[in-house]
Amino acid sequence: MAKDKLTTRKIVTRVLILTALTIAMVWALLPIVWMVLSSLKTEAGMFSMPPKFIFKPTFSTYAFMFDEGNFGQFLNNSLIAAGSSTVVALLLGTFGGYALARGNYRGKKHIAFWIISTRMTPIAAAIVPLYLIFANFHLIGSTFGLVVAYTTFNLPFALWMMMTFFAELPPDMEHAAMVDGATKFQAFYRIALPQVAPGLVATGILCLMFAWNDFAFASVFTGHDTQTIPVAASLLVSQTGIAWGQAMATGTVIILPMVIAGLAVRKYLVRGLSMGAVK
Amino acid sequence: MSTGKSLEAPAQQQPQPSGSPKAGGRFKRLLTTENLMLAPAITVLASITIFPFLYLIYASLMDFALAMDDPTFAGLRNWVRLFKDPAIAQSWKVTLIYAVVGLGLEVIIGVGVALLLYATPWGRNIFVTLWMLPIFVAPVVAGLLGWFMLNSSYGLYAWVLQLVGINTDIFGNVATALPAVILIDVWEWTPLITLIVLSGLQSLPSEPLEAAEVDGASYWQKLRYVILPLSARIIVVAMLIRSMDIMRFIDTIFITTAGGPADSTKIIGLRLFEVAFRFMDIGYAAAIGLSMLFVTILLGQAFVKVMYGR
Repeated sequence: MAKDKLTTRKIVTRVLILTALTIAMVWALLPIVWMVLSSLKTEAGMFSMPPKFIFKPTFSTYAFMFDEGNFGQFLNNSLIAAGSSTVVALLLGTFGGYALARGNYRGKKHIAFWIISTRMTPIAAAIVPLYLIFANFHLIGSTFGLVVAYTTFNLPFALWMMMTFFAELPPDMEHAAMVDGATKFQAFYRIALPQVAPGLVATGILCLMFAWNDFAFASVFTGHDTQTIPVAASLLVSQTGIAWGQAMATGTVIILPMVIAGLAVRKYLVRGLSMGAVK
Repeated sequence: MSTGKSLEAPAQQQPQPSGSPKAGGRFKRLLTTENLMLAPAITVLASITIFPFLYLIYASLMDFALAMDDPTFAGLRNWVRLFKDPAIAQSWKVTLIYAVVGLGLEVIIGVGVALLLYATPWGRNIFVTLWMLPIFVAPVVAGLLGWFMLNSSYGLYAWVLQLVGINTDIFGNVATALPAVILIDVWEWTPLITLIVLSGLQSLPSEPLEAAEVDGASYWQKLRYVILPLSARIIVVAMLIRSMDIMRFIDTIFITTAGGPADSTKIIGLRLFEVAFRFMDIGYAAAIGLSMLFVTILLGQAFVKVMYGR
């Protein structure tokens, strides 16, 4: 009897847990699903009440954006700006991160603090001086300025992440290589670097994501020709009339690659988003 | 919860074989492989962050309008104004409400979902994967989505709300605009709290839990006396990260309400934006920016302390 009762209780608990989780999933996913569905509807079909979940999808909104609008150009701008800052951050961050991990630098706590507060600087506060400096050098509206702006948060991030990845490697193999005559740089390049490759890729994807998802910097620093897709998305709803169909399609294009890339490195996601505090 | 260990490692590391440079002056001794590898990163980082930082301090001491030719020295006028301006106080108040209510909900729901995921009999991996998707959404798109869902004439959520008799322009109403933008933040970032806490739960030591079980503790007793105390540190880490992010981003509110109606959603970052690019008062904007930076630095200091565990 007693055993039966316990089992019933267990089943009830399981059902409750799964129900609660299902509700949470619906809350998390419904807006995303609704956005993707809406982007596949005709502008008239989007607003039918009650809302339709089953309908004949059309790619006409996407076709229109690429054929009639400058959407391809905006996509290109986003890729160049996010990509360049990622390459710069990874390159400098990997060398620097290795040096920080292996070198005997005093005051690591202070370096940590400087790097983290740089990474976490409020965007609004960073925009003001960067705007003045860019204005002096005629960089407002240029992709170069935007890349510099993105590097202000991606470089400290990459430096910090790569330091934590290198610091986790036992240095023995590098020492052995150096005893065998390799220079310190060769030990880094041939022994340490290949071992942190997954971490390097994850860091790169997160840098790409931070820059790709930015709106505030791009809205101030880009001009008509250099506008990124988040800015294009915002203009769709702030100009006369709201083109919700295009806005939803643009939103889908913005998040889809990041979902795929992000899930590919999900093992490192928490580590990246917590600045290495949680592994 | 393996935090900070790796950071301590380099200090305990054995001396390196080729670490001793040949005698040859101070300068040569500086040219170690490490220094040469670190120099480019530090140089670039310093020039794109320290220089703007100094420029910000300079600007905060000037009467500096975007339209004006030459800024003139203003002394501490911008700073005095910062502490007297009711608009600034209002914005800090909104920021505080946004942070406390938003973060409070995120921690409660986030920890709750983490505990559910930790206890779920099956499908943890799938649930975690689905639950984390909002994290990848660009904040500006999250704002667009929130607006789209709550739009009074055709939003899906607004339609549901109308069915239960709530019929208002959600982003245009002083009573509902702030709750709405807070909910967008909660939607996007609660999963991050869950992920952080879950990774803490998964690395909990098993002994205390087993001991509690042997003593016949109920689930709630285990939660209250073992699981939550052991997770406290990681929850604090998650909260500090989120607090710094709340100071950092303005995208979501910028796109939905732009701070309105009647400044009810004008967090401090948006106020700065308005002062700088609508009123063109760069000197004052710089002072606001430095005050924001000051708060972030305090949070960052707490974060580094918690991370190093001492």
